[in-house]
Amino acid sequence: MRDAGWILGAYVIVLGGIALYAIRIVTRGRSLAKQLPDEDKTWT
Amino acid sequence: MIDQQAGTSTGTISVTSTGTKATRALGIVCLAGTALLVFLGLVGTPEDEVQRDTVRILYIHAPAAWVAYLAFGVTALASVLYLWKRTRSLTWDRLAGASAEIGVLFTAVTLATGMIWGHLSWGVYWTWDARLTTTALLFVLFLGYLALRRMPAEPEVRAKRAAILGIIAFIDVPIVHQSVEWWRTLHQDATVLRRDLQVQIEGIMLFTLFLGFVVFTLIYAWLLLHRTRIAVMEDALDEHGLELALEERRAEGVEAVDQSEGLAPA
Repeated sequence: MRDAGWILGAYVIVLGGIALYAIRIVTRGRSLAKQLPDEDKTWT
Repeated sequence: MIDQQAGTSTGTISVTSTGTKATRALGIVCLAGTALLVFLGLVGTPEDEVQRDTVRILYIHAPAAWVAYLAFGVTALASVLYLWKRTRSLTWDRLAGASAEIGVLFTAVTLATGMIWGHLSWGVYWTWDARLTTTALLFVLFLGYLALRRMPAEPEVRAKRAAILGIIAFIDVPIVHQSVEWWRTLHQDATVLRRDLQVQIEGIMLFTLFLGFVVFTLIYAWLLLHRTRIAVMEDALDEHGLELALEERRAEGVEAVDQSEGLAPA
């Protein structure tokens, strides 16, 4: 594959960026969920 | 009842995440779809006759741009529903804010992958081309939208301001999409969403691009569900914080009255 470094870099930026954001919201969600009673969690 | 130390309501806490069975199942589908997309995008598809291997970037670049459009579209729609008195609810405001945040993420990765593609195809990372410029403007507009949402204000005031800006900022989305037709640009024309309905790609390459659109849309749905639930809890925590502050002020008031009565001459 020509320009493999650039192409792999593009995939890392996209998938890595999404993964970091996903990890951030999951950990934030867990932190908040531990502070609030279940009646405040409308999705349960 | 308020827990004085933690500053939160006391009550049963058995749910300790924003996940449900449905979001977990969706997450697994997203991971499997992403693995297949990466395999097809990097290995399972042939190189393009003109673009050679750089076409592989487009399997993630175009779907990321699509999700940015979708996310800002949801923000605009939720903003309209908030501003319309019949449907006014902070639920729409939370949905608008959550979707805009995800849209900014996908716009950022669209710009980043576009710059890499531009470097390989045009020899420059950036040029003030109509598509690139309007996309950068979209990114800045919605960064401003997120900044506005963080400004301290009453929830209803904040929601109204954000809704108006969300609708105004969305006007740039059709401009971004049509920019390659309205102006002479370096950026290539649309490959799939064309006015003449002539899709410019076929076979396994078309399938991979289509898979990218589906997988990224599912990832958007997964992120939106979790982010909206976080917004619900943030608002609940603010409300409980306010209740706690009011209780503290009342307690201080009672204490001050007790002290003044104790000091008063008999």
